[in-house]
Amino acid sequence: MFSKKKIEAPLNEFDQVIVGNSLGKDAWKRLKKNKMAVIGMVVVIVYSLLAAFAMFLPIYPYDQIILDHQHLRPTFNKTAGDLMMETKLEDLYFKAWRSGSLVVTEEQSTQIKTWIADNKTNTVWNFCYAEGERQRAAGTFTFSAADQKTIDRLQSRIETEFLISVEKLFWTDPVTGKTKNLEKMDYEDILPVYASITGLEPKDVEAQTLTEIRSQVLNTIKETSPDLTDEEYASSLEMELTAMGEKGIHTIGKSNLIGKIQTTVTRTSERTLKQEIKDGSAEFPINKTVNLSDNLTAEIQASKKHDRHYYLGTDYSGRDMLSRIIYGGQVSIAIGLVGTLTSVLIGIVLGALAGYMGGKVDFFLMRLVDIMYGLPYMLLVIICMAIFGRNIMNLFIALALVSWLTVARMVRGQVMSLKNSEYVEAARSMGASTGRIIFRHMVPNSLSVIIVYSTLRVPAFIMQESFLSFLGLGVQAPYASWGSLVGDAVNGMTLYPWKLIFPALAMTIFLFAMNFFGDGLRDAFDPQSKNQL
Amino acid sequence: MSLKPNAKTVLEVKDLKTYFKTDAGIVKAVDGVSFTVHEGETLGIVGESGSGKSVTNLSVMRLISSPPGKIVGGEVLFEGQDILKLSETEMRSIRGDKISMIFQDPMTSLNPFLRISTQMVETIRLHNKDVSKKEALARSIEMLKLVGIPSPEKRIQSYPHQFSGGMRQRVMIAQALSCNAQVLVADEPTTALDVTIQAQILELIDKLSSQMGTAVILVTHDLGVVAGMCDVVCVMYAGRIVEKAITDDLYARPSHPYTEGLIKSVPRMDTANKNNRLFSIEGQPPNVIDLPPCCPFHPRCHKSMEVCRHAYPPIKDLGNGHEVACWLYAEEATRAKALQDAEQQEKV
Amino acid sequence: MTKYIVNRLLGIIPTLLIIITLSFFIVRVAPGGPFATERNLPEVVKRNIEAKYHMDEPMIQQYGRYMFDILRGDLGPSFKYKDYDVNYYIANSLPKSIVLGSWAMLIALVFGISAGIIAAVKQNTWIDYASMGIAVIGISVPLFVIAPVLQLIFAMKLQWLPTSGWYTTGEGYKTIILPAVSLSFAYFANIARLTRSSMLDTLRSDYIRTAKAKGMKNSTIIFKHAMKGAMLPVISYLGPAFAGIITGSIVVEQIFRVPGLGKFFVQSSFNRDYTLIVGVVIVYSLILVFMNFLVDIVYAQLDPRITYK
Repeated sequence: MFSKKKIEAPLNEFDQVIVGNSLGKDAWKRLKKNKMAVIGMVVVIVYSLLAAFAMFLPIYPYDQIILDHQHLRPTFNKTAGDLMMETKLEDLYFKAWRSGSLVVTEEQSTQIKTWIADNKTNTVWNFCYAEGERQRAAGTFTFSAADQKTIDRLQSRIETEFLISVEKLFWTDPVTGKTKNLEKMDYEDILPVYASITGLEPKDVEAQTLTEIRSQVLNTIKETSPDLTDEEYASSLEMELTAMGEKGIHTIGKSNLIGKIQTTVTRTSERTLKQEIKDGSAEFPINKTVNLSDNLTAEIQASKKHDRHYYLGTDYSGRDMLSRIIYGGQVSIAIGLVGTLTSVLIGIVLGALAGYMGGKVDFFLMRLVDIMYGLPYMLLVIICMAIFGRNIMNLFIALALVSWLTVARMVRGQVMSLKNSEYVEAARSMGASTGRIIFRHMVPNSLSVIIVYSTLRVPAFIMQESFLSFLGLGVQAPYASWGSLVGDAVNGMTLYPWKLIFPALAMTIFLFAMNFFGDGLRDAFDPQSKNQL
Repeated sequence: MSLKPNAKTVLEVKDLKTYFKTDAGIVKAVDGVSFTVHEGETLGIVGESGSGKSVTNLSVMRLISSPPGKIVGGEVLFEGQDILKLSETEMRSIRGDKISMIFQDPMTSLNPFLRISTQMVETIRLHNKDVSKKEALARSIEMLKLVGIPSPEKRIQSYPHQFSGGMRQRVMIAQALSCNAQVLVADEPTTALDVTIQAQILELIDKLSSQMGTAVILVTHDLGVVAGMCDVVCVMYAGRIVEKAITDDLYARPSHPYTEGLIKSVPRMDTANKNNRLFSIEGQPPNVIDLPPCCPFHPRCHKSMEVCRHAYPPIKDLGNGHEVACWLYAEEATRAKALQDAEQQEKV
Repeated sequence: MTKYIVNRLLGIIPTLLIIITLSFFIVRVAPGGPFATERNLPEVVKRNIEAKYHMDEPMIQQYGRYMFDILRGDLGPSFKYKDYDVNYYIANSLPKSIVLGSWAMLIALVFGISAGIIAAVKQNTWIDYASMGIAVIGISVPLFVIAPVLQLIFAMKLQWLPTSGWYTTGEGYKTIILPAVSLSFAYFANIARLTRSSMLDTLRSDYIRTAKAKGMKNSTIIFKHAMKGAMLPVISYLGPAFAGIITGSIVVEQIFRVPGLGKFFVQSSFNRDYTLIVGVVIVYSLILVFMNFLVDIVYAQLDPRITYK
């Protein structure tokens, strides 16, 4: 019935095709011409995808502490074990030089002393290592027996130590014979499972778990608000527990129990694995299923601990910088986006109200905005963060509460000028409600301005968040944000410059991209840049 | 074709072309415009908005902002010298001194941050270096008095925002004439003003220019203004002059259908039949991006012929300097040939 | 004009009042207190200490007492540092912060405005691209990245400048270069971009066309006709810029170990040293409010269209 008729392009009186020219289309065309903006857009998209799918990336956990891997430098081809050995050797060679057993020329010795005086530790170590290796190869230097033993011990540790992670736990019900993933079972069902492997009564297990939960909650309260009296702690513990409810307690209990079962699994498999390594029958990486009892099976993964590659180095607790930067980016970008969105929404609602209602509402809101503009609000945010506890939620609320001012002013101005336009008059004459007029007619019309502003607002938000995290007032370990990573790195940046450089670079590139994209968007939407007569 | 046959030619524009590069294509804002201005004469340029009047004048002053605009061809001879070939420094000594300009919007054309005195004194001293500040100020006050600003000694110390629109345009005129320019370019000087003030301003320009012997190029879209003030009129359409004649001639014998339409669309008090509806030209002026070869007026013309769709008409002199660019006045043979050429071109 | 100034000054009072009240109550509403870590003290001693600082009085009474003290110019004793009072600490550290901030502002203004004007005049040339490229760096790279990186390069690797310290540490003016430059970078960038865009806008305006039609030289047009108008957005940006420099100085003082007010602020926030926190906030706010006032006056002076009502 509806034959596909080719729509004929409209022609003008000179038989030329008239091309439709909407604002969005036009802006898109101009944005595409701006190379930097397009690059910026692509970078932003890549970053956002990386952050969003961080958990699916083949990277090490961002919060796994391996103290042996403390402050390893970035490398492409060496394993953590190689670097550990190098560090050890550097240390030993240096000690050997100091004790005089590593003989160097007089000149070199003076040189080393000046380096030490100049605090150029890395240079000293590098030199000692190179010189020592050379002499050892040439046979002019051998380690003392004690040193050699240290080296051998380290070598064997590097070769044999491994990490086990429990991937999945399955429980086969002895009555029904059904096999279930423990993660998907309820707290009450897990209780007997744990009881069965420990040989305890489920009732005792439950009591024990409850005590543990209480002390856990108490500890978090102590962390977030220190310096309370014991009575205050006791009462706030009860309050917190009531607030959590049975469901919350069960969630914690479940994860506690699973954690315990996992530890048991790890311990048992560790024993067998060690034996296998001794026999030489183990080949890493290992994926296998372990039967803990007749009913409980576990899928475990084991890998050599010191076979890891840290492309961007590690931090002071031996955590992988690459995954910390990616997860830090996740936090920073999320705060930037969600924070901007929240503050823009608050701004739109208040600004539109002030602009449309006028009169007292407008006067009151705008005085409020004026006064808040005059406040050194970053200082107030700092105080709030320092006093009300440092966590992501507080940070986010504090920032969003002070960031809506400009949007509110902008929207108010737009709405005021649109209020008297014909189409709004028309809508009103047709009986549209105030809310409908504001949110269906006025807000969409100022949307391009708001979008451009928001895009430019995101980097500012990220910067504020990182600023607070840098001061130690924002995101707390084990979580990371770009700001906290840079903040952690500033002390000791001569020794471990990679800790500063990589997060700083990651952050800078994103902010760059965001700014270029925002600028491009603004130019694209700005009718003044329309090169038309 | 001047009223005063012996008057000296001051400014001659020959085949001026100014194009603008835009995202959508090249806009031929001025495409081959020629006219001559004689000493003491007032030349009117009439046309709808977008027809290229203002760009013509800005090109004469070389004030087209580049990019996107560019003067791509033609000559502008001022006292026999092609000012398009002058260096920027030489051009500066002509602007304001020999050729000065009044702009359309007096509200924005004066610098809001500087006192009137500063702006006027600077104009005078810019081109007469030996005039002291005091003399320049005295001269400025005199000019303000001449354009009819009350108590100019006091008012000269004010800022532009303290003046009304009409007063500001008077200041602009005083400023433009303070150096005794030979040519005054007035770009729609009254468009932004009230009707009552329009008449005063035009009268003022007319009076002063005849007093000082200044040639005036008056750009307007108001045919009534032209009838009252101009000696010669050029009618512009889509970047070209379609008809050029001595004012009386033009009104007596409008030859281009566009001119005819323009004159008919002016409301008149003296028409016999008051019930007649006012004439209006159908349609819109064309967008001058990538126009095909044709008479740009043909879609709106009630006398259009086949040839109008395919070739731009040649300019025909109807006598007494009355020139018109319309196929109506071309010979049959020329028309036929043009049609043939166009057909051939299309085949290729 | 005088009336305008007086009115504007009177308008400052409610803002200051709100700031003082807000910070006074925020710090006290939160759980915990400055002496909480000394909980092991006998109850009597504790009560004595609280009485000494009037902490045993109702909140409103404390507030009234505090406001009265402020009117006399007394910011009270520090709760944590027992030797001196808040006035002493502020008097000692504020001048250093002011010197640092002023240098940063000066650098940002001078270089920002010149770069912006040059970029606008030479639009779409390499100079334009280069200075705007630097400006984008200034906007995109956070202060706490720029500062350590500059420190790493110029103090540690090249050893041209001292890594940290102040005049008194013997290195003289050299100590101030790195902190001031790092602090100014973002504001330099913003001012350069603002100047460029507003200069371009102004150069496109009708009155500049008039000036050109008069036959004026480009340099005269820029400095005599366009400058004032183009500076207005820059002037109004200075208010937020001052606020930013104040917050920024907290970071810079920490990185370069400048013994200024910023250091005290972060420390006192962690310590819940009520009087010191509120004292520092009051001082910062006073500076900020006063600077905003100055900016308004300068703006009004520049733009003749503003009437003093």
